[in-house]
Amino acid sequence: MTAPMATHRFHVGDRVQVKRTNPAGNPRTPAYVRGKSGIVTALHGSIDNPLDHRGIYPPLCSVLFPVRDVFGGISRDTLSVDLHEDWLAPAGA
Amino acid sequence: MTHSTQAAHGHMQDHEAHVLAVEADLEYWRTKRLEPRVLQLHRRGVVTLYDLLRAAAHISAPPIAASSAEHDIEGRIRALEDALDDYIRGIGLASIDPPEHPSVIEDTRKERGDYDDFFRIAKPHHDGTLDERIARLEHELREYQRLLQVLMHALLEKGVVTAEQIERQRAFLAGRGAWNGARIVARAWVDPAFKQALLTRGREAVRELHIPPGRLGKLGVAENTATLHNVVVCTLCSCYPHDLLGDPPWWYRDDSFKESVVRDPRGTLAHRFDLPLPESVEVRVHDSTSDVRWMVLPRRPAGTEGWSEEELARLVTIDALVGAAEALSPASIARTER
Repeated sequence: MTAPMATHRFHVGDRVQVKRTNPAGNPRTPAYVRGKSGIVTALHGSIDNPLDHRGIYPPLCSVLFPVRDVFGGISRDTLSVDLHEDWLAPAGA
Repeated sequence: MTHSTQAAHGHMQDHEAHVLAVEADLEYWRTKRLEPRVLQLHRRGVVTLYDLLRAAAHISAPPIAASSAEHDIEGRIRALEDALDDYIRGIGLASIDPPEHPSVIEDTRKERGDYDDFFRIAKPHHDGTLDERIARLEHELREYQRLLQVLMHALLEKGVVTAEQIERQRAFLAGRGAWNGARIVARAWVDPAFKQALLTRGREAVRELHIPPGRLGKLGVAENTATLHNVVVCTLCSCYPHDLLGDPPWWYRDDSFKESVVRDPRGTLAHRFDLPLPESVEVRVHDSTSDVRWMVLPRRPAGTEGWSEEELARLVTIDALVGAAEALSPASIARTER
């Protein structure tokens, strides 16, 4: 079900930024994290999901975002969103 | 559902809330599951609207229940909830994919109007007094059920599915459900090796409980600790490990829940679910996708030392599986069973 982890471009702990647009990528990437930066917390490999995807998407990472970075405010709660790597770019610290 | 993991029905506290829940669920299942399916089958020429007209001649109109005269409000609401369960189970049966016409979920989403409001099926307004709303639901449910029966008849008549496939699907649907989730949690509480396997390998681990692991993407398990409380949402649709855990709570599909839980997780838990959490606990929202479908592993309640897995599983509600509640305490379960 899951391809080897070696295919991942990112590592747990990497700081990444979600692209604002990615026309070729999975359209079901939540709008609220686009353009936001977070930390990779888990690698899921490339997930074969024939019911839902046309073809194989790039490997998937869980990325953790502070709620306050996404929506403002002072909350110290967090949002964990699973994103395909083609949506992610390295972000400066 | 022989093993309901929802807290036992006490006396019905809030009629309005029950009616609202039936309205929301009924329209969800009609506009997102049944009718898009009917339209899709018609477009592909598998079962056309004309096949349905022919089939309708074989299905007598359901009798008009004398419930309004026989029952009080609470009895009528319960009857509606039971009929709704039947309807939902029936849609599950009508959703078997014939091998020569496999449907892609993406197509269904398009058909359901998930991507484009233009394709959305209109929902009626539910307003008026409680009595009027109940009467309307009784009427609508009868009509919706009839369409479902006609569709089933046409599917069988045209040989799209066989009676045997339907029986197999019925057995499959009856065997799954939130009870699976409760058993998984209870095993994880008593068996550290199982818990480790569950957290790292997800659905592969559940085979040891003789639960079919299913095939809907990867199962993510988010463990609650003394300093971390997890809650699951799917902001884009309603991804959930359905194949493993059955249906999520009805409000999981509710847009107001999705909207508020990502913006204000702590406030949503406190105000909407009466689950205030101390500042020392981080609240983490997992936005599920169809690739990784998340469930929450709640904390084992205090005072359950030496309990059997079966007893422990009864503490796990479907709300706890998505993080909208903690597992029940031994005291609360004693109250509901008295």
